[in-house]
Amino acid sequence: MKEAERRLGPMSLGVRNVLVVLVVAGVAVFGVTLFQSPTAAWSSLLVAAFYFLTIALGAIAFLALTYITKAGWSSVVKRVPEAMSTFLPVGAGLTLTLLLGIHSLYHWSHPDAVAHDAILTAKAGYLNAPFFAGRMVVVLGLWLLFGWLFRRNSLRQDADAAVHHTRRNVALAAGYLFLFAFTFSVAGIDWLMSLEPHWFSTIFGIYNLAGLLLGGFASIAVVTILLRRAGYLPNVNENHLHDLGKLTFAMSVFWAYIWISQYMLIWYSNLPEETTYYLRRTEGGWAFLFYFNVVINWVVPFVVLLPRPGKRSEANLLRVSLAVLGGRFLDIYLMVAPANSTEHGGVGIVDVTTFLGVGALFVLIVYRALARRSLIPRGDPYLIEGLHHKQ
Amino acid sequence: MSARMFVAYFGSEDGILGATRAVREAGFEIHDVYTPYAVHGMDEAMGQRPSRITWVCFFAGAFGLAVALALQIWTSAVDWPLNVGGKPHNSFPAFIPVAFELTVLFGGLTTVAALFLRSRLKPRMSNAHVLPRVTDDRFALALVVEGHAFDADRAEAICAAHGVVETDFVEVSK
Repeated sequence: MKEAERRLGPMSLGVRNVLVVLVVAGVAVFGVTLFQSPTAAWSSLLVAAFYFLTIALGAIAFLALTYITKAGWSSVVKRVPEAMSTFLPVGAGLTLTLLLGIHSLYHWSHPDAVAHDAILTAKAGYLNAPFFAGRMVVVLGLWLLFGWLFRRNSLRQDADAAVHHTRRNVALAAGYLFLFAFTFSVAGIDWLMSLEPHWFSTIFGIYNLAGLLLGGFASIAVVTILLRRAGYLPNVNENHLHDLGKLTFAMSVFWAYIWISQYMLIWYSNLPEETTYYLRRTEGGWAFLFYFNVVINWVVPFVVLLPRPGKRSEANLLRVSLAVLGGRFLDIYLMVAPANSTEHGGVGIVDVTTFLGVGALFVLIVYRALARRSLIPRGDPYLIEGLHHKQ
Repeated sequence: MSARMFVAYFGSEDGILGATRAVREAGFEIHDVYTPYAVHGMDEAMGQRPSRITWVCFFAGAFGLAVALALQIWTSAVDWPLNVGGKPHNSFPAFIPVAFELTVLFGGLTTVAALFLRSRLKPRMSNAHVLPRVTDDRFALALVVEGHAFDADRAEAICAAHGVVETDFVEVSK
């Protein structure tokens, strides 16, 4: 195999400049908005940081799932999720920055508000600033550690082709998936659900986990297809795309299942303390976005990816994955924005610029990680199986 | 019911894959291929059309969905409207779980039934395998002999080129 096919060349200067401009513009608009409307600014950062952090986490979840199931097919694409996982430190940093905006985002962080509110007083043992920050540090630290270990073991295997690296990652994956289910539930409840501290949903953790896996798998498909179109990853064929499509399809259905489970139970029981969440989101301009969320995250992938050729066509899978990634933004935006907003729907300028800024940072970091290492994990014992994958 | 077949035995996956492709391209009619395990790429080598069972599943699922919605709308909004929690009689969210379950149930059961019917699997079926060692270490390619001019020498030659172990004419039950 030619060296040029294994290594990604440096990014073209034009693309790089555009991305840097997007990052700078994102920071500038965020800074200006911070003085005019701090809540809008912090909301936009929460959406953008959570979006790209969960894509990096989705990539790590993909690695852990394929390790624990001893999947062979994924060996030819695994450098893609490994590169995506390198965004985790930056995503964690951005998430920690949110602590500076805690008073703008989280109503429960004001002691005087809590003192006059019986419900918040009862929840103060959990929802208080020091414990909140502590939990944030712990969960981010655990994810960083595991993400780093998975990639390190895999890269070391390139040099010595030793099987024990794979065995170690399988063991890590078992522990990680167990820990991740708990820690990510904590993250979803803390960072998103506590935006409306009176409201609660016991399925909120798994709802976010479904979204995370959907966004993660769709972005692995997008990056893989873009690399393939540029002439890299020559070993990835329609059989591997088929599997990526199946995972994206499955997670889309899983997400919809959890979406309706949360909505239907609240709609059915019709309790005022639960229905507030949906009442706010089905009023005014939010209503269109609320229903469109289900269309783009479930109806579109379900219809387009259901037939076998739909998953095996590169162009088709790319289009659907991009639609899902747009839907993922909408999903997170709908959890965050209506909580503190007095507006009746719509996406603000700062939401777009912050999202593009963090997104540009994500692309720069992931590109750098992809270019620094061989795109083919030469030492992976599953590589041969991955190369001969057929279905 | 059985028919005379030309059977070629191979010792490896590569041999049978190559031979299957070659005899098909040479115009022979393949009765079936018997292997100890599922060989990747065999469908393509045999020139099999994509399975139509997915369509059975799709339409049965769609039928289940229609039945579930019709049943619920008719019973709760038309035939015997009941006030449940003050909600409208025709409340779509309440119908979703049953609609989902019946879609899966109809789709799943019909697909399994269609598979059994199409492959004529039924209870108390006798073991129809007559070819030796195909559940152990032999890969067998069975070609249809009757009904058209069968060139045995040519079939032998193609199989020999792919490392055939032995060939035989046998009665294979259909």
